[in-house]
Amino acid sequence: MSRQISHGDAPLSAGRAAAQPVWDLPVRLVHWTLAGLIAFSWWSVHNHHTDWHIWSGCAILTLLIFRLLWGFLGSSTARFSSFVRGPAGVRDYLRGRWNGIGHTPLGALSVIALFGAVAVQVGLGLVSEDEDGLFTGPLSGLVSIDASDTARGIHEFWFENVIVPLIVLHVAAIIFYRLRGKHLTKPMITGRAIVDPATKPMRPAKWWVALICLAVSIGVVRWVVAGAPPFGHWTPPS
Amino acid sequence: MRTRNFVLVPLIGLLGACGGPQTSQVNNPQANTSNESRAEDQAAASNLEARVSVGDAAKIMHARHEGMETIGKDFKALHREFDSPTPNLALVRTAAGQIAGLSRQASGWFPEGTGPEAGKTGAKPEIWKPENKADFAAKLAAFQRTAAAFNATTTRGDVGAMKTRYADLGGACKACHDKYRTEMHH
Repeated sequence: MSRQISHGDAPLSAGRAAAQPVWDLPVRLVHWTLAGLIAFSWWSVHNHHTDWHIWSGCAILTLLIFRLLWGFLGSSTARFSSFVRGPAGVRDYLRGRWNGIGHTPLGALSVIALFGAVAVQVGLGLVSEDEDGLFTGPLSGLVSIDASDTARGIHEFWFENVIVPLIVLHVAAIIFYRLRGKHLTKPMITGRAIVDPATKPMRPAKWWVALICLAVSIGVVRWVVAGAPPFGHWTPPS
Repeated sequence: MRTRNFVLVPLIGLLGACGGPQTSQVNNPQANTSNESRAEDQAAASNLEARVSVGDAAKIMHARHEGMETIGKDFKALHREFDSPTPNLALVRTAAGQIAGLSRQASGWFPEGTGPEAGKTGAKPEIWKPENKADFAAKLAAFQRTAAAFNATTTRGDVGAMKTRYADLGGACKACHDKYRTEMHH
């Protein structure tokens, strides 16, 4: 998506490198849409708009599936293979022995934790129902009423005790790096950052691959929203 | 799913049998004589103005909690059936009848003195504010009216009509809960 064209928001003055692409457009769109939808999900369910909350969750599911596919087919910095590292990688990074673009080995842990926690949250929401039986998740028909009630309880617990702390940690880490002189927010908006010229540049993926990933994720969610037939059926809130 | 429902029907019946007599004992006479035609009359639909002793308040609040919980369980069972392409109509009729019966009992569930000052409850004190009394009574009457209308449709075989009336009933539940029930009330 991001083409490597020679313009940047930093002037090409002597001794200073140009901003290079680090995040492709799908990564940035997923990031900010996810942030917005999590906030919207929280607001809507606390303001008597459980129907909007359910649709927001379905939209988040679409993002998660897209991002999972993009983690295999996307630009180099979007791929799990480029940023998921074991404990040794994290140790090396903490000792200053890491040089690259994209997620750092430590940041990758945060990405995986957030992604996994949101996936669990969506999974719980899909089989939940509200306290009054007014609203059901698309897959609630696949489990018992008791299981749906239990899922809702864990769904609430999970948000307050896992999702919110992870978001706080995420924002705190960004502030921490900012205080140390590293700006992380702007590259997530513009997709570009000033990087060491010796660093291997981002290898962008084809834009039509993103469209295919999006079509597949929408297709899967469309099936989920139907109640995953033939296993179940779901009538959306009117 | 189907076998669960066979278990659920007698279970719901059992719940009704337990909750029923206990509930009517604590209701005041006005509530017990209320019926669908009275429900249309908003002023008579609830006992907001009645005052009760502390002991009665505890009993009424307990009956209210149990009653609401039973209604919620029935409503969830109904939701499953209406999400399904082949709803179990026997279960639908049982649940609809029980909700309609409890909705009539609800006339006696909200006397003055059964708010949060009397104990743990999801009922907001706004219910008993003078400016809200007419609105609350109207919402309670709408609950009773829609519950009776839904129950009436279940005696016939038209599932589409049942779903419409069920949605009306859900709307009545939601309108009142959104305004007069606290979020944290377990």
